Amino acid sequence: MAVPVEEAIAALSTFSLEDEQAEIQGPGIWVSTDSGATDSPVEYSDVSAYRLSLSEDTKALNQLNALIQEGKEMGSVLYTYRSCVKALPQLPDSMKQSQADLYLETYQVLDLEMSRLREIQRWQASAAAKLAADMQRFSRPERRINGPTVTHLWSMLKLLDTLVQLDHLKNAKASIPNDFSWYKRTFTQVSVQWHDTDSMREELDDLQIFLSTRWAILLNLHVEMFRVNNVEDILQVLIVFAVESLELDFALLFPERHILLRVLPILVVLATSSEKDSESLYKRVKINRLINIFKNDPVIPAFPDLHLSPAAIMKELSIYFQKFSTQTRLLSLPSPHELPSREAQDYQRHYLIINHIGSIRAEHDDFAIRFSSSMNQLLLLKSTDSADIDWCKEVKGNIYDMVVEGFQLLSRWTARIWEQCAWKFSRPCKDIVPSESQEASASFSDYEKVVRYNYSAEERKALVELVSYIKSIGSMMQCSDTLVADALWETIHAEVQDFVQNTLATMLRTTFRKKKDLSRILSDMRTLSADWMANTSKSESGSLQQGGEESKANFFYPRPVAPTAAQVHCLQFLIYELVSGGNLRKPGGLFGNSGSEIPVNDLKQLETFFYKLSFFLHILDYSVTVATLTDLGFLWFREFYLESSRVIQFPIECSLPWMLVDYVLESHNAGILESVLMPFDIYNDSAQQALVSLKQRFLYDEIEAEVDHCFDIFVSKLCDSIFTYYKSWAASELLDTSFLFALDNGEKYSVEPMRFTALLKMTRVKLLGRMIDLRSLIAERMNKVFRDNIEFLFDRFESQDLCAIVELENLLDILKHAHGLLSRDLSIDSFSLMLNEMQENISLVSYCSRLASQIWSEMQNDFLPNFILCNTTQRFIRSSKVPLVPIQKPSVPYAKPNFYCGTQDLNAAHQSFARLHSGFFGMPHIFSIVRLLGSRSLPWLIRALLDHISNKIATLEPMITGLQEALPKSIGLLPFDGGVTGCMRLVKEQLNWGTKSQLKAEVLRGIKEIGSVLYWLGLLDIVLRETDTTHFMQTAPWLGLLPGADGQILHSQDGGESPIVNLFKSATSVIVSNPGCPNPTSFHTLSKQAEAADLLYKANMNTGSVLEYALAFTSAALDKYCSKWSAVPKTGFIDITTSKDFYRIYSGLQIWYLEDSVRVPPSSHEVLGDSVAWGGCTIIYLLGQQLHFELLDFSYQVLNVAEVEIASITQTHKSPHFFQGWDGLLEVMKKARRLNNHVFSMLKARCPLEDKTACAIKQSGAPLHRIKFENTVSAFETLPQKEA
Amino acid sequence: MARAGGITNAVNVGIAVQADWENREFISHISLNVRRLFDFLVQFEATTKSKLASLNEKLDVLERKLELLEVQVGTASANPSLFARDA
Repeated sequence: MAVPVEEAIAALSTFSLEDEQAEIQGPGIWVSTDSGATDSPVEYSDVSAYRLSLSEDTKALNQLNALIQEGKEMGSVLYTYRSCVKALPQLPDSMKQSQADLYLETYQVLDLEMSRLREIQRWQASAAAKLAADMQRFSRPERRINGPTVTHLWSMLKLLDTLVQLDHLKNAKASIPNDFSWYKRTFTQVSVQWHDTDSMREELDDLQIFLSTRWAILLNLHVEMFRVNNVEDILQVLIVFAVESLELDFALLFPERHILLRVLPILVVLATSSEKDSESLYKRVKINRLINIFKNDPVIPAFPDLHLSPAAIMKELSIYFQKFSTQTRLLSLPSPHELPSREAQDYQRHYLIINHIGSIRAEHDDFAIRFSSSMNQLLLLKSTDSADIDWCKEVKGNIYDMVVEGFQLLSRWTARIWEQCAWKFSRPCKDIVPSESQEASASFSDYEKVVRYNYSAEERKALVELVSYIKSIGSMMQCSDTLVADALWETIHAEVQDFVQNTLATMLRTTFRKKKDLSRILSDMRTLSADWMANTSKSESGSLQQGGEESKANFFYPRPVAPTAAQVHCLQFLIYELVSGGNLRKPGGLFGNSGSEIPVNDLKQLETFFYKLSFFLHILDYSVTVATLTDLGFLWFREFYLESSRVIQFPIECSLPWMLVDYVLESHNAGILESVLMPFDIYNDSAQQALVSLKQRFLYDEIEAEVDHCFDIFVSKLCDSIFTYYKSWAASELLDTSFLFALDNGEKYSVEPMRFTALLKMTRVKLLGRMIDLRSLIAERMNKVFRDNIEFLFDRFESQDLCAIVELENLLDILKHAHGLLSRDLSIDSFSLMLNEMQENISLVSYCSRLASQIWSEMQNDFLPNFILCNTTQRFIRSSKVPLVPIQKPSVPYAKPNFYCGTQDLNAAHQSFARLHSGFFGMPHIFSIVRLLGSRSLPWLIRALLDHISNKIATLEPMITGLQEALPKSIGLLPFDGGVTGCMRLVKEQLNWGTKSQLKAEVLRGIKEIGSVLYWLGLLDIVLRETDTTHFMQTAPWLGLLPGADGQILHSQDGGESPIVNLFKSATSVIVSNPGCPNPTSFHTLSKQAEAADLLYKANMNTGSVLEYALAFTSAALDKYCSKWSAVPKTGFIDITTSKDFYRIYSGLQIWYLEDSVRVPPSSHEVLGDSVAWGGCTIIYLLGQQLHFELLDFSYQVLNVAEVEIASITQTHKSPHFFQGWDGLLEVMKKARRLNNHVFSMLKARCPLEDKTACAIKQSGAPLHRIKFENTVSAFETLPQKEA
Repeated sequence: MARAGGITNAVNVGIAVQADWENREFISHISLNVRRLFDFLVQFEATTKSKLASLNEKLDVLERKLELLEVQVGTASANPSLFARDA
């Protein structure tokens, strides 16, 4: 060959066409859609070349085939016929005058539809006439022409089938007579003005009779056939042929099998209805054989949602065919709806896939393995240069066997689905258990009864499984089409040649030696198909095959060419001719004939070859056969039920493909999850059918609309379950494992593994000729759902109080973990990006994230006024009293469980953890805040809090002035002689603020808030210290920091580089010095980056204290009021009686509220808590009045007096219960003194007044250590402004 | 004619059949290879599509990152004073 085609094509295979995507969809692309060899592509025009005098037969055959084609189109017109009457408009009363116009319009519209029916009527008449004529011509006993050939017999059967189907459809479609009566009515209205309508009227009457008569087509055919009385023979031949084919069931694929099953009862009816006695039929075919066939298949699929029942048909026809009504045995067969329940049970067992799925699964697995292994063998063979001929033959033969087996499997499986459907249609669900209560009252349409409620969950599962088996085997076979083609041709060639060259040669030599006419047929067979020269042509071209064994007569070289359809046709004809002797009346069957002149052995060989021949055609038609066998489009069609239910279309819940998809999604079954795309192939198939075989655009549009809708729902449901799965996986991983282990019911918190990986890799989902990138759709949705979830968590936090921060952190952690798990399989936006986006924290110049501002506003509005501090537990708790400041909060938003932790159980588990932290605010909450805000927003929050302190001080100032003014001119020390009672009286007399109790409470609240903020910052300080220390411990060894003797930090090498830099530098130099290093610059970059890391981490080493900073800030803020609150005594000595300093005011306030807290039941302590002491004492301390306070505080004085009093009293009276009434107060005072002392000692430690040093906090959040600064508020400008 | 069969000119038919086998060998060889070519193209398209899809995915991610960076740069350049101080 001039062009090295082989090599060029082989070179293509060197391209790497690897693909990430798993094969979890059916084959979506057909290389060719026109049929190949099953029907001859050249309409058997090449048959004449073989000079077998078959021209008459060929002509008749082609005529029948053309009729079949037309009939199929008629059938699809009829099947897809939808009533027009429902769409016709009604005229309102106001327009009655134009009624005539409406009639005309209606007439014209309906006329178009009726013309189609008229066409069908005409066609069936001519088809019946032609079929009858054909049968009569080829069954004349004198036989002037050759035929009928086997192909011809098949065409007769097929045409008969088409006619029967058409008739059945015409009977079933109720809308057609309905439309027709409308048409007739309008015709009578319209035709008044026309002349000469008689012929039209006649035609109309004709059509009416045709449409309203049941089985009109069949009756007409019967009349045509028996016009001349000699078709019984050919009918009997057809029956024998059908029965034998069905009984052997080897070469039949399911479409042919169904044709035979549909035609057989009609044939029997026709054959027994003739004038002659029908017993001759039963001489050739025992009635039991017929009954067996009818019994085996009580329902036969005809159209997607229409089935036939032989028993019912025969019963119905017996009314029309008098003779046939005597066939009581056939008529006693029960129709499917009248089956006795036990038999129905048996059939049920047979028809339901669920009862066979186990063995189907085993077959599938076994076949898939063997098919791939033989494919591997073939590939190995192709890559071997000089292969052994025997091995070659074995491998190719093996491929052939596998393909045959595959076709048979596919045919069996698809037939099962068809038959299950037909069975389900014949037995609608009787007792519907409505799953949703709202539907309980609604009545169910017939379609819902036969489909929606007729498939149990298990049956749906089995169906999904079977569909995916069919589709996956189908796509596997489809993919290997061009790979196996030449191997198949070669094997078929070898089979044929072996038969004609060897088997026939043997037969000619032995059995047929004496029989001249028979041996002529045999030698004709050899002539028309033998390839004698295959041998020489190969060895001359000198290609792969080596070594000639020419001496061996029965050896021939393989040639990868298959016989043509015409050759097969002729061979089948000759074999049939040989066994039947060309005599239609020959008794008995085709092959199982004892009276023949041919020995049994030879007959057996001929029979095998005969049936093999018919299967060859399917194999040669590889891709079309695979497409036919895997076509499941019928599962969608429901034209018949649409009509009977009088609706335009059913909701998708009734659509079987969607039911399957939905089942897979809802069942959460990991085993069938990957098959979820398979049911979409049903839509692909049905769309193909709608366009190619039914040729109806509107059906395609409906399918397309449904697919669009379903796919949207599918994607959203799939994303939902992916999200739920990853979320619950994350949530269960974040639960404490040792705790779960100890738990009795710990398993319910574990998540069953699911594999979404294959689905997540689908970048090309084939849907109605479109390619859909499922992966990107999922990624898009995931990006959105993660954002929604973050948003929801913040919304939820915003509707709760500050204590929910721990729960928020927990939920965000789960989300983040889920994100991490999902990002392994899917590329989605990074979590920090999404979090920043949802926190509105993207701007480089803004530091207030959504969360920070929420925390701040929560503190301002709820936390500071309504929470009180307990110094001992270091917790803030909500005051038990009615909140002083009522707060408006949005209600908690609702969300599905997957926005929390995934499943209900996990939600409960995590919620019980969160509940532990919901009642108070303490260290864990501060930890959460630190982690959530990070170094970016935390300074902003600190700044806001500090501003709050200075604002509070500013608002307190006028109030305190008011209190100062209300103080008496001078207050002396409390005298000891009056005892506690006297003291208290004196205090009350002197501090006559009675009118200003509102003011007092206000001031106390202000001081309490300042104290709360300071204590809060103290807690923050502790937490930050801990985080910083952890951080330091982690980085120190890398930065070369060593502990010194005096607790200072030492650098390991003075002036040298830190270990991290050294490590990377030396590693880089070693790697780069190696000449084999592929990319030295990247290692240099690495070492540079180490230096950068070193710098960054070193800069963050100096940590300061937030608390000290805050105290310094407060002190600076107080400096402004120093003159008013801390007057320098004019005398230079301590001012005891006339002082109006802050400590004096606070002293008065303290004793007032202490007394209050003892007297009034809802004690003011519960309103104020311990933070008042923190606020008051801090201000006093920072004003430098601590000693004054300790010396001159009223309550301290009272305590002193009490102490003296106790001492004196115990000496004299020895009565411990002396202070009736003052016990409580004294106790409270003691407590207050202890608390104050605690605060003062802490302050002394953290903020020594001697040198007013503090630390500042850098923008990055890292405190600068011990920096001297001028003590003004402006010195604190390093913190980000609140407004920023 | 009681029996079918009987090729009228058996020798000629035999020769024609032989020639037919050989011609058809050539034809099926060519047509098979054309189909293989077609198969290759289909597969090539599929692979290319999935490679493009993964490229598209990466571009998507980059695009969003770029968008973020642009916004950040935008906020920064709108407030130059904040950054001038550090310089």
